[in-house]
Amino acid sequence: MSGSKPDILWAPHQVDRFVVCDSELSLYQVEPAGSSELKAGSLRLSEDTAATLLSINSDTPYMKCVAWYLSYDPECLLAVGQANGRVVLTSLGQDPNSKFKDLIGKEFVPKHARQCNTLAWNPLDSNWLAAGLDKHRADFSVLIWDICSKYSPEATVPLEKVRLSAGDPEAGLVVTKPLYELGQNDACLSLCWLPRDQKLLLAGMHRNLAIFDLRNTSQKMFVNTKAVQGVMVDPHFHDRVASFYEGQVAIWDLRKFEKPVLTLTEQPKPLTKVAWCPTRTGLLATLTRDSDIIRLYDMQHTPTPIGDETEPTIIERSVQPCDNYIASFAWHPTSQNRMIVVTPNRVLSDFTVFERISLAWSPVTSLMWACGRHLYECTEEGRDPSLEKDIATRMRLRALSRYGLDTEQVWRNHVLAGNEDPQLKSLWYTLYFMKQYTEDLDPKAPGHKGSLVYAGIKTIVKSSLGMAEGGSRHSWSGASEKPSEGPSLSEERILALQLCGWISKGTDVDVGPFLNSLVQEGEWERAAAVALFNLDIRRAIQILNEGASSEKGDLNLNVVAMALSGYTDEKNSLWREMCSTLRLQLSDPYLCVMFAFLTSEPGCYDGVLYEKKVAVRDRVAFACKFLSDAQLNRYIEKLTNEMKEAGNLEGILLTGLTKDGVDLMESYVDRTGDVQTASYCMLQGSPLDVLKDERVQYWIENYRNLLDAWRFWHKRAEFDIHRSKLDPSSKPLAQVFVSCNFCGKSISYSCSAVPHQGRGFSQYGVSGSPTKSKVTSCPGCRKPLPRCALCLINMGTPVSSCP
Amino acid sequence: MELHILEHRLKVASIAKESVPLFTYGLIKLAFLSSKTRCKFFSLTETPEDYTIIVDEEGFLELPSSEQLSVADATWLALNVVSGGGSFSSSQPIGVTKIAKSVIAPLADQNISVFMLSTYQTDFILVRERDLPFVTHTLAAEFTILRVVNGETVAADSLGITNGFVKPKMVQRPVIHPLSSPSNMFCVTSLDPDTLPTVATLLMDVMFYSNGVKEAVVSNEDCGHIRFFSFSLIEGYISLVMDVQTQQRFPNNLLFTSASGELWKMVRIGGQPLGFDECGIVAQISEPLAAADIPAYYISTFKFDHALVPEENIKGVINALKVSQAEKH
Repeated sequence: MSGSKPDILWAPHQVDRFVVCDSELSLYQVEPAGSSELKAGSLRLSEDTAATLLSINSDTPYMKCVAWYLSYDPECLLAVGQANGRVVLTSLGQDPNSKFKDLIGKEFVPKHARQCNTLAWNPLDSNWLAAGLDKHRADFSVLIWDICSKYSPEATVPLEKVRLSAGDPEAGLVVTKPLYELGQNDACLSLCWLPRDQKLLLAGMHRNLAIFDLRNTSQKMFVNTKAVQGVMVDPHFHDRVASFYEGQVAIWDLRKFEKPVLTLTEQPKPLTKVAWCPTRTGLLATLTRDSDIIRLYDMQHTPTPIGDETEPTIIERSVQPCDNYIASFAWHPTSQNRMIVVTPNRVLSDFTVFERISLAWSPVTSLMWACGRHLYECTEEGRDPSLEKDIATRMRLRALSRYGLDTEQVWRNHVLAGNEDPQLKSLWYTLYFMKQYTEDLDPKAPGHKGSLVYAGIKTIVKSSLGMAEGGSRHSWSGASEKPSEGPSLSEERILALQLCGWISKGTDVDVGPFLNSLVQEGEWERAAAVALFNLDIRRAIQILNEGASSEKGDLNLNVVAMALSGYTDEKNSLWREMCSTLRLQLSDPYLCVMFAFLTSEPGCYDGVLYEKKVAVRDRVAFACKFLSDAQLNRYIEKLTNEMKEAGNLEGILLTGLTKDGVDLMESYVDRTGDVQTASYCMLQGSPLDVLKDERVQYWIENYRNLLDAWRFWHKRAEFDIHRSKLDPSSKPLAQVFVSCNFCGKSISYSCSAVPHQGRGFSQYGVSGSPTKSKVTSCPGCRKPLPRCALCLINMGTPVSSCP
Repeated sequence: MELHILEHRLKVASIAKESVPLFTYGLIKLAFLSSKTRCKFFSLTETPEDYTIIVDEEGFLELPSSEQLSVADATWLALNVVSGGGSFSSSQPIGVTKIAKSVIAPLADQNISVFMLSTYQTDFILVRERDLPFVTHTLAAEFTILRVVNGETVAADSLGITNGFVKPKMVQRPVIHPLSSPSNMFCVTSLDPDTLPTVATLLMDVMFYSNGVKEAVVSNEDCGHIRFFSFSLIEGYISLVMDVQTQQRFPNNLLFTSASGELWKMVRIGGQPLGFDECGIVAQISEPLAAADIPAYYISTFKFDHALVPEENIKGVINALKVSQAEKH
């Protein structure tokens, strides 16, 4: 200080005041200031604050250090340490009758003059002031003064010996007898009271850091180090202390005081000030000489390292509050992360160190971020419908409703999923049919169609290629005219139709039950179309009539039935002409394709096959009935690619759970993010090599992680069990073993190894009857297993339980 | 108690009064521009006979090599006693007296020659580097011996000398050399290094140029008055020893003084130059002082030794030492 570099201090209690001290003390008050003109005499501190000079005190020359009285004081009582070691109490207040009137001007004089390096008020006893002085051969370097003490030099020193001391007119104000004297023949460079106890003082001495305990002054705890400057206890963490030496900051843990717990990266220039932030835990600010930045070290996540060698991570940042070199800085005592800096030319700048923001998504739709002491949560307002549509929300709800876990009535899974997505419905029905027919087929039957079922219609159709194509005629029932021609139904085609759900199990090709179920569900149009495609126009008309007369039915269906009944095979009839144009105006796709079918040229059913609104299964079934093998194959191929591209789950019917299916599922997941459906679907019946596909494993792992993130531990476990049932390779290894007391080997493990040894169990204590045979000795070392405490029979595991 | 072996490797040299202009450049640099040198230990003591310089190897490079500079042959190491524990009985006698029994006498018993330098801040006991193993062995019982390395104290290596040492009997050590006591009173003081520039010219005047003037005045007025001034700048700390007349030339409140304003009188030891090999001189003086609980400073120079004792004790000291001297005969 002393004229060269100003220092700055915030008032500990009147938080809008601060003092700048160089050769004199200047008290400022901070006021809010807008962008408008400042009051005369105000100094701008920041965009919205300004400082007004309240008073100047130049009573104390040769200032070396200043410390602000820690108790509440309206008069700004300060202790000033001088170059000659004297400590003077002074004030910046204007009230001459303050309660500190008696204290102001009081001097505390060491026996031998030398520089006062540091001052520290005791945080618990506000009257105690510790002063750290330079070395003197015969004097103490740490003096603790009681500012209310009444000692005067006359009381202890003969008057004639006061010759050399400066003339003190007010002798009563001079105190020469400290409360405690510590550190003889040593120098004290920095001081700090420990908040743990009023009588513990940490001092940076000449070559060591020492903790003095005033309850027993003959003892001190110390550690030899060079880092003795600027000791300061972390206000939030009372065992953590920072000190520095030249460019290096050392952080100490007082509980483990032998060496610094960490040292911060060394700065090329010597440090001048190091200070813990009082409002934020673990934030340390450092300043080096001739620097325009303040470096901040964030030790937020490192309260204390545990082991010897753990070097905690520190986040280093820096702030540049102004363009000049910074002479000193001070954290604001209460305002979070606020700091004021002063430059050598006494330019002041008041700013807030911006807090790092950490951000976290919750596994459910909210977002949180933390900034300083504030925690912000961002959730969407109200019940946003888009939120409900969000796949994550849906997957969560589905997981809760045990979606995917019904392995018997597989189709029910789409109901569990909410029964609202036609693609899912199609998917689960497909899987259901596949499962059903796999079970039905005799695996030993020739042709091994069973292996084809899960391979999808595409493979099934391909396998029928080149087989003899027998033509058979279908006859219209209920219509006099001859029907259009379709190829005969091969075994593969029947299987395909079964998978499409048109016909049920067995070799029966009757679509009656299917129609009935559709009618029951009120899908009149679809039922009519299916009936028509099965060349049963009467049934179709009947269904439409039924639909029109039902409660929810559309009366227009009667009209459609009428139109249908007018079917004529004649190529150039008016009916045909009108139907082919007007059908496009029908809103229902099934009604539309019915007329498309009736008006189409034989063998050319594009109007039906490429009507996208008609379910894939119906179109495929239609194709199976009416297309020739080559056409069918081409059509299926084309449709499959379309489905794959679109990621349409209806396409699983075609691809099955093959590589193609994985491709399709991939584009579905890409489109929707629904790893849940992907995982369950692929587990349902895929062959092993498909399950091993890294994409499939990736979906499964992601779904598991998702369940974990939602903390659905039970659902996760259920899923894992489900998975291990369907995919034996994912079965976890045994995690609990029973091991032998003697050899330590697992009993069950050795069990499985026994057959290789060629000697039966019976030789080694397998007792009595074969039904009760147990292994009662360790198969590894042959020592007996422990006995039961009651019956004293050796315990053991039944032989049959051995894998 | 801790004994610190400081890392400075010191040279002790003497410059004849008339040759001092040759060296002023280096000396001024060492004293006032320490930031321009790597010197950490510098002491300059002016006696009527010569200037004694104690300086570390880095600082020694600042001095021109010249025949006018007599250098003691050995390299010296400074020892410093640190009270270590926080014992704070303020009645403890200070300075050399404190360490007389624990350091100086045992070293004298082992015939180890010491060179003393007392400053405002502390007392340095200089020993020859080659004697260090004997020193540490002698003092190991009494002290925790620490070596300063790069500014940090570390436990000194055990130097492995364990035998061949017989604890000598405590012998009476009569004062051998003649004593004299100049009439001027001295003060031991210091000043804030920041204020050093403001008094630099005054100090230069005192150190190098006040010689002739003073001598003339002194010889006229008081034949017991001697020229003695010591300046040291050691590890950033300044220490000054000057007589009251010189002290009065400094501005008020600039020099650090004790609250009691104590003044000191000098006892000069030696009629012939003492040399560096004789042992026990410091012990001869300090032991009687310690016995009488009289605080003292002790400054060895190239030719003679100087003890400073409180003015009120000077008569008693002289008497005690005379008694000791008499015992010799």
